[in-house]
Amino acid sequence: MFFGLFSIYPVLNALYLSFFQKHLLSTAAPRFIGFGNYQYLFQSPTFWNSLTVTGIFTGGTFAMLVGLSLVLALFISSRKRFQRFLQLAFFSPAVVSTVVAAAIWLLIFDPRGIANQLVNTLAGTPGVDRRWLVAPSMLQLATMLVYVWKYVGYFTIIFIAGISSIPRSLVEAARVDGASVWQTFWKVTFPLLKPTTLLVSVVAMIQCLRTFSTQYLFSQAGSPRGPIDVITLNVYHTAVRTFQIGRASALSIILFAIMLFLSWLQFRVARSEEVSYL
Amino acid sequence: MKRAAWFLVMLLALGLVATAANPVKITFWTHEDPNRTPLEEEYIRRFQALYPHVTIERVTYPSARIAEVLLTAFAAGKGPDMFNLEVNDAYPYLVMGRVAPLRPEWVGYASVDSILGAYLGGTLDPVYRDGKLYGLPLELTIWSVFVNEKYLREVGLDPDTDYPHTWEQMMEVSEKLVIREGDIIKRRGFDFRYGYYVEWLLAMVEQLGGAFLSPDGQTAVIGDEAWLQVLRYMQQWGPLGKNLGSPTYTPARNLFNYDRNEVTMCLTGFYQIARIRTQNPAFYESGEWMVIPFPVFENAVNDVASHYYGHYYMVNAQSSLETQEWTWRFIAYMLSNPEEYLTRVGLIQPRKDLLASDVYAAQPYGDVFASDMARSSLVQLHVANPEFKQLLDEAVKAVMLQGVTPEAALATLRTKANEVLAEYK
Repeated sequence: MFFGLFSIYPVLNALYLSFFQKHLLSTAAPRFIGFGNYQYLFQSPTFWNSLTVTGIFTGGTFAMLVGLSLVLALFISSRKRFQRFLQLAFFSPAVVSTVVAAAIWLLIFDPRGIANQLVNTLAGTPGVDRRWLVAPSMLQLATMLVYVWKYVGYFTIIFIAGISSIPRSLVEAARVDGASVWQTFWKVTFPLLKPTTLLVSVVAMIQCLRTFSTQYLFSQAGSPRGPIDVITLNVYHTAVRTFQIGRASALSIILFAIMLFLSWLQFRVARSEEVSYL
Repeated sequence: MKRAAWFLVMLLALGLVATAANPVKITFWTHEDPNRTPLEEEYIRRFQALYPHVTIERVTYPSARIAEVLLTAFAAGKGPDMFNLEVNDAYPYLVMGRVAPLRPEWVGYASVDSILGAYLGGTLDPVYRDGKLYGLPLELTIWSVFVNEKYLREVGLDPDTDYPHTWEQMMEVSEKLVIREGDIIKRRGFDFRYGYYVEWLLAMVEQLGGAFLSPDGQTAVIGDEAWLQVLRYMQQWGPLGKNLGSPTYTPARNLFNYDRNEVTMCLTGFYQIARIRTQNPAFYESGEWMVIPFPVFENAVNDVASHYYGHYYMVNAQSSLETQEWTWRFIAYMLSNPEEYLTRVGLIQPRKDLLASDVYAAQPYGDVFASDMARSSLVQLHVANPEFKQLLDEAVKAVMLQGVTPEAALATLRTKANEVLAEYK
């Protein structure tokens, strides 16, 4: 009942609205236009740009999140001391609100901020503006870094839980049989981490596709919208700036369909590679 | 004397209609303004004391968020009883029938015409429709240029004579004033008020004979040469040109008051004076700042200042008639103190009696604002203006930050703006 009310109903309502033309402020009844909103979107360069931008952001962030959190989890799990401290340190950004996180990173990426100072110190190029909030590729990278910083700890904790559930006897048996650390990881640990990796992959991908606050705050702070106009930001602009709630609903439904398809694909791929040593 | 008499008549009228009626609760949403809050809370206390059956709840939202908060509330049928919005954002509410007209007797006037006559000509046009008035102005200002004289002198310029009169001079003077460390700007000479393009960017285009909309409102982007000159200017201003400023730097007007050698000139309204006084009394008293008129291009064909920037108090059409009446009475009560809004908050309510008063004449740089207002006008209103603002933002950032040529940015702007217009035809 609870799930139906708060999850299914909004989706069905958005689906219904996506077939109508409605001005958000108008009190007039919505006008049925069939697939008109979808037709408009598929012919709109702004929509295709949003799709591309979402793909770039999701691809880049997803790879960094999954890869980095696995590496960090392996590193932390191998430590005998400071495990709790390291878990807490990496997890803490996850409890910071995305708005606050974006605000902090806006200061870091400001032309006079730490990002330029750090890169210029390392590269020995004083006074160079790396244009973090301006140049399209740097802007995309900047939003990815914010997201990775915020969520890498969260996924690290999930991986640590997955690693700790692998029987130590299997790892020790492999080492006794003469397997190197590298071989032990690839032949024992990684295959047994598949369910955790699947969970992390699905959650991380959905999380990346739903990104909004970082891009919103960056565009509000003066950055050009085009390079970071992910689908969710486009939904916001279509509804709140252009008042086209039907068209915004159609965009949401497309995003929902993409999420559904990619999640299904991941489950499908993972099922075909299931491993068990028991 | 005349004003005092008018005030008494209005209070009497309000008193006569006060009845021991049902309790009325008024929800009032407005944007944050630290100087205005204590004043309006005082008015609320006084009004509630006069009419104990009325309760007013004042809620503030950040300026950048109030438009979307209101929009979602109205879309859900849960809008407040009264609110104020910048005129371009407010206009769709009027066109879509979401706001209620006032009755002149509720606000102490005999007729709508007498209200129109009390205000500066044309200033009520955005809220006047089919013989009815749907709003009263909280403030109407134009944006002029605030200057820190100290930094002009530092680079050998005389603030009295060498201040920029034209946009070309603005660029020259800013090049002298700017301090950089490599590419990174440490002090800006001047910087624009990015985001509010309808007010200043369109004025620049109009100086050169261009316009955003044709007079019949059917075609967007008029006068290519004017647009191209302005877009080229912005391209030169940005980090890919002479690197004098950028939308990604902290807004110049937010830094100006602190006098920390970060910005010399900014574009802002009359209210900035009250904010300097509050945020940095020493700088306010120092006499080291001044206000100069909105510049024009050397080849301008029209001598126009920035467009009016205004906020109007409006009333929710979905509120009960009784609530609408008391809300308008409350608005009239607050707005019957234009001199306090002027002296304590720095807001100009465009009433003829206020603009002719000694109080207005005594305001620092009131004459500069008055002369800029005389060459200013309201922007051509359209229900899609909030969307047009976004398109202008895209065009400016494309040339300033993304390396798009002015020609290409103009072509995109034209295509998108005319597509939007077509949807409203």
